Order: sequence, then structure tokens, then C-alpha cells
Amino acid sequence: MTFNPDINLIAAAMDRIIPPMGDLEGAGGLGLAPEVIERSKTDDRFWLALQTVYASLNAPGNFGMLDGEQQDAALSAIESETPDAFGFWLDVVYTVYYMQPRVHQRLGWHGRTPQPDGNQMPPWNESVLANIRTRAPFWKQV
Amino acid sequence: MHPAMSDQTHDPNRTADVLIIGAGASGGAAAAWLSEAGFDVVCLEQGHWQDAATYPTADADYEFKQMSSWSYNPNVRKLPEDYPVNTSDSPINPVMFNGVGGSTIMWAAHTPRFHPSDFRVKTLDGVADDWPISYQDIEPWYDLNDGIMGCAGIAGDPANPPRSPRPMPPIPIGHDGEMIAAAFERLGWHWWPSDNYVNSVRFGEGRDACNFCGHNLMGCYQRAKSSTDLNYWPRAINHGAELRTGCRVSEITTDSSGRATGARYFDSEGNTQHQSARSVIMASNGVGTPRLLLMSKSDAHPNGLANGSRLVGKNLMFHAFAIVAGVFPEHKEPWVGPLANIIQSQEFYETDPNNDFSRGYTFQMNRGQGPGWTARGGFSDRVPWGKDHHSVMDQRFRNTVGFGIIGDDLPEEHNTVTLDPNLKDSSGLPSPKINYALSDNSRRMMIHAIDKGTEVLKEAGATEVTVDPLMRESGWHLLGTARMGNDPERSVVDANGQSHEVDNLFIIDGSVFVTGAAVNPTPTIQALALRTADYIVNQRQDLKG
Ligand SMILES: Cc1cc2nc3c(=O)[nH]c(=O)nc-3n(C[C@H](O)[C@H](O)[C@H](O)COP(=O)(O)OP(=O)(O)OC[C@H]3O[C@@H](n4cnc5c(N)ncnc54)[C@H](O)[C@@H]3O)c2cc1C
Repeated sequence: MTFNPDINLIAAAMDRIIPPMGDLEGAGGLGLAPEVIERSKTDDRFWLALQTVYASLNAPGNFGMLDGEQQDAALSAIESETPDAFGFWLDVVYTVYYMQPRVHQRLGWHGRTPQPDGNQMPPWNESVLANIRTRAPFWKQV
Repeated sequence: MHPAMSDQTHDPNRTADVLIIGAGASGGAAAAWLSEAGFDVVCLEQGHWQDAATYPTADADYEFKQMSSWSYNPNVRKLPEDYPVNTSDSPINPVMFNGVGGSTIMWAAHTPRFHPSDFRVKTLDGVADDWPISYQDIEPWYDLNDGIMGCAGIAGDPANPPRSPRPMPPIPIGHDGEMIAAAFERLGWHWWPSDNYVNSVRFGEGRDACNFCGHNLMGCYQRAKSSTDLNYWPRAINHGAELRTGCRVSEITTDSSGRATGARYFDSEGNTQHQSARSVIMASNGVGTPRLLLMSKSDAHPNGLANGSRLVGKNLMFHAFAIVAGVFPEHKEPWVGPLANIIQSQEFYETDPNNDFSRGYTFQMNRGQGPGWTARGGFSDRVPWGKDHHSVMDQRFRNTVGFGIIGDDLPEEHNTVTLDPNLKDSSGLPSPKINYALSDNSRRMMIHAIDKGTEVLKEAGATEVTVDPLMRESGWHLLGTARMGNDPERSVVDANGQSHEVDNLFIIDGSVFVTGAAVNPTPTIQALALRTADYIVNQRQDLKG
């Protein structure tokens, strides 16, 4: 059977997972639910996890109709009932969220792939060895 | 394309002098040494060449690839050239890479040496066994390997015997490294800049200096991190060695007298082939080698090849590996600089009679990686979801540095690699099954280490310390499963890596380790591989056609 999750429902849950912060919307409000679904398809662990979490979100009681605290309680229940699946789902939500340039900006991170520029470091400075160099050799002779 | 990526095919009439199984750290070193000495070398490697320009850190989604197609756990990566490993009875997952360069494609390239005492633990401490060789026996091979792989570091470490000048100056240790070093000094504890096979300056053909990107576990885009596809293999191929990729060995074949005759393998099209050879060298790592030996049963070797001692696959050592990380009040930018190529402390390396454990451990300073990695758990557990997510994430991402703690993991026969009766790889061959339990000695050692690690992080100013007492994805050191020794009843190979039972079979990977020491093993693996190759060159000219 094909699995066609309701994007709005997943987005609502993602907003509770990573809520808005200042000007920045939550993980759902940023429109990342479709990417979470697409990326989950590339790995069985993530795809099964999404289906497991979704089945609970979609259970009678309708997650979308709950208030924020109730939604958190529902997510906590899913987490304790299916910890592995919930964990894999979190990994995908977190990773997709932290791939976003707007999120990097908020973190104050340079927000680019590390290549080819890399990062700058102060050069090696041998004077830091001044103290430790005074220690006598202490390796065990055999 | 790598210049050395030649397309070589099977010649059914060729009998190689030496057939090497596996093109990783040890296989590359031996292939270069033997081909330079005029031996006809063929290597069969189940994986493929890698192209540094396509390593994932050049892509915006590299943090997703880190937990899927570029995971260092083969059970997660699931490439056709990977074999699954049953880890249901192990608290530690073996991790590796299968391709030209082997696990050096993914390694951190932190390259300390064993201490002289590591070779004499029975004599000194009454535990495990002594090695049949000493530190002095392999010292020249360490030096040679440091020069070829390219070592950045500085001689003069008081915790280790004097060593020759390093070919490159150390990788800068950064302000975070200086902060931790100062804390060690205030406590009166040892520290020293790590030796690393990472370029601090341009070194080796086409290899740049490190650009401090912080992500060398998914292949090094700069080729600043050394891996054997960049140095030993081009050298070997230039001297006539043939490296056949996409070729998975299923059996080492033997004649009626039990001597090795070559290997049967699946070629890159899935056809069964046989490569004849006058000798065989196993370089498939501490899991792959026992797996293949156990798969190579015959009338002459009913327990598996070279397994009269029944020690093939036993005494598996991983190293006990814990993480202790400190959250600091001020920003540290821990994504700047290589992950694990900073400083180390060996204050607690040797057995101390005041402790309730034998042997000791090394602190290896670690930095963080990207934000996805941090949120997923990074140094400790996942960042919580919900209302506290942002505050915890901000703290951990910007302000955390810590230690990997490597504890000496002594051999125990019940820690094993066996053949799984059900699980198979993509060629239908039995997968390895790991049975492993952390010893009481290691457990007590890690309690001590975590306590001391916490002390130094607090001394450095950490306001919070997180601990992972036994990291699950830490089986990067695969050791002990075909140990060396003088007694054929108590070991699989002799001091030269030659099988006690099969005089034309050699083992050169981490399987031959008698003990694990408390350091990363690869310089020792490669030094032993070169030493065995040199033994063949000098003492086994009979293997040359
Ligand atoms: C993430 C990570 C970090 C690490 N960091 C460090 C570090 O900082 N310092 C350090 O010293 N060590 C480190 N290591 C360990 C280091 O990479 C290994 O010790 C080293 O590569 C082992 O060398 P080897 O030759 O024994 O095996 P490998 O390098 O693993 O090579 C074995 C090769 O054999 C091939 N093979 C296996 N079975 C078959 C078969 N049936 N047919 C054909 N080919 C086969 C495999 O495909 C593979 O390419 C790290 C490893 C990992 C994974």
C-alpha cells in the first residue's frame, strides 16, 4: 500500500519538535515537511520510522485539533511507546532543519559547506610547549 | 579520476607471487613494499576507488549523508560492496570502509604509537600475553610509515620514547586546544600535540594542507588527510602491482597439502573467478580476515584456514571508548579545526598499583562537527525536542569540546567473530557475527577515566559535563582475531605474520594484535605490514616466480 502522509499534520508535529524562535518559524512553519518525507524515502530506517510516528499522529483524537500542550503530551507518548522510530524520525527532522541557511543565520554559524574554503585557525605556536617540555620522560622502560 | 585508477582485468593464466586480499591501510603498505622489491603483486578489493572531489562535504546535504550513505557503519551505509555484520550480541558496532584505501578513507588519522610496555603486559602486569616482538623491532617501520603516510607532529613527548623528527610541523591546536592544554598543566598532568597523518603543509603528490574544515570522517576533500589510495597504492601500481576492484573473495584455496594456492572471488560482474598465487596475504581487517579464514574450510583445514589453534575469530578487541564533553560558558566555535587531531594526554597510560584495574588509557581531545550532528547527539545524547530545544542546542553547538577516551582492551577468548548462520552479504556469502562484552577491567578503567576527564574539563572551566560511557558506534579498531605468537597452540601467526600452519599464508591487518594498547592502532598495523613484507622480500624469495 502506498503511504501518502498529510503534510500539514507532519508540519504541525514538526513545529512542536523545533518550535519557532524569534523571527524564525518552527521546523513545520519553514515548509520542511515535504523534504523530511522525501529524505525519509532514501533509507528504510527513516521511512519505517516516519510511518510509525505518522500512524500514531493520525490515530483518532486528531493531533491537529489538540492545543500545544496536548500535542506535546501526544508526542511524548509516541516517544515512549516507539522510542527507536521516534528517534530516527527526530534525526531526519533535526538534520533537515539544520541544513537550512536561515537556521544557520540564527545560529550565528557561517552556514556554508566546509569545502573548499574550510576555516581559519591561528598558526601552530611552539611556545605552548614551554612548560610540558620541562617534564622528564616518564614512559616505562622495558 | 585518480591517476592510478587503471582498469585491469583477470588473466586466468597468471600466477601472482603474492595475492593480497584487501586494499586498505595494511594491504596498500605491503603491496608497495613488495612490488618495489620486484614481486608480482595482485590485490583483490571488494570496493572501488574514491574520487576526493565527490566527497560529501562539498554538498549542502552532507550532514544527511553522514547518517545514511556516508555513515561509517556498514549496516547503515549498505553499499553493495559492504557486508552486513550481526551486532545483536555486542554493545559496540564495528565500523569500517570498504574500498581502495579501506577504512583510511573514513579514519580520523590520529596516529599515536604503542608504548614499549604494550608489548610486555604479561611480564609487567601479569595480564594477557606478551607480544613476540618488541617496540624496538618495529620502530624503524613506524618511522618509514610516518614518512610515506606523512606525519604532522613534533618530537619530544615525555610520555613516549624519543622519536625521529616528524616530516611536518603539528596541526595548529587552536585556542580550544590551548585551553585544554593549560588545564592539564594546572593539574600537573601530561599533554602533547597529537601525531596525525594529516597535512599541516602541502605534502605528497597533489595533496593540500588541511583547510580545518572539521569533517574528515567522510573522506577528505582536500586530500590533506592521508589514505592509502593517495600514497601507497599509486606507488605500488607504478611498480607493477595490479589492483582489481569490485572483486569479493569468497575463499582462500589450498592444495591437498594445505598450502594456499590463491583465492576464489566474484568479479565486478558477479562471475566466479580464481586467482592463482604462490602466496596469499590477508589484509581484510580484524573482522574481514577471520571471516574469510573461517569460510575457507577444506579437508586439510577442517576448522577454517590456519585455524589449528582454534583462535581464528577469537580475542576480538575494539578498545573501550568513552566520550566526556564539557559545555563552556563562552563560545568555542568547535567546528573550526579537525575533529580529533589536536592534543592527547597519556598521564594515565601505564598500570598504577593504586588503581583497581590494569593498564590504562589515553585522552584524545575532540571537537564538534556541524549543527545536524550536534542536534542528533554529537558528543552525548540527542538535543531535546520542544521548548528547550533552542537553548540546549545553542549551548552545545557553540560551546562544547571534549575527549574521546581510548582504554586498553585486553584480549578475551569469548569476544569473537564467527560466521552468522543466516545473514548473508550481497554475494550470498555468510556475514560475520560479533559477540563482545566489555570486561570488568575495562569497565573499572573507564569509570576512572571518566572521572579524570570530568576533572580536567571542569578545571578548564566547563559548567556542564556530559558522558557517553561506551560509545556504540566506536568499533573502529578491529583487533586480535588471528593473533601472533611463538606458540602455535596459542596463536595463529608467528612474529613475522606468517601462519604457523600454512607457510605461504600471511596476515598483516589488526587481526594479528596480541593486545590493543590504549592508542589508535593504524601506525602499528602499517608498521607490522611493512615488516612482514620485508620479511618476505628477505627470507621468502622462494615465493617469487
Ligand atoms: C570512522 C573511523 C575512524 C578511525 N580513526 C582512526 C584514527 O584516528 N587512527 C587510527 O589509527 N585508526 C583509525 N581508524 C581505524 C583504521 O581505519 C583501521 O585501523 C585501518 O584502516 C585498518 O587497516 P586494515 O588494512 O586492517 O583494514 P581496512 O583499512 O579496513 O581495509 C580492509 C579492506 O579489505 C577489503 N575486504 C574485506 N573483505 C574482503 C573480501 N572478502 N574480498 C575483497 N576485499 C575485502 C575491504 O573492502 C577493505 O577495503 C578509524 C576507522 C574508522 C572507520
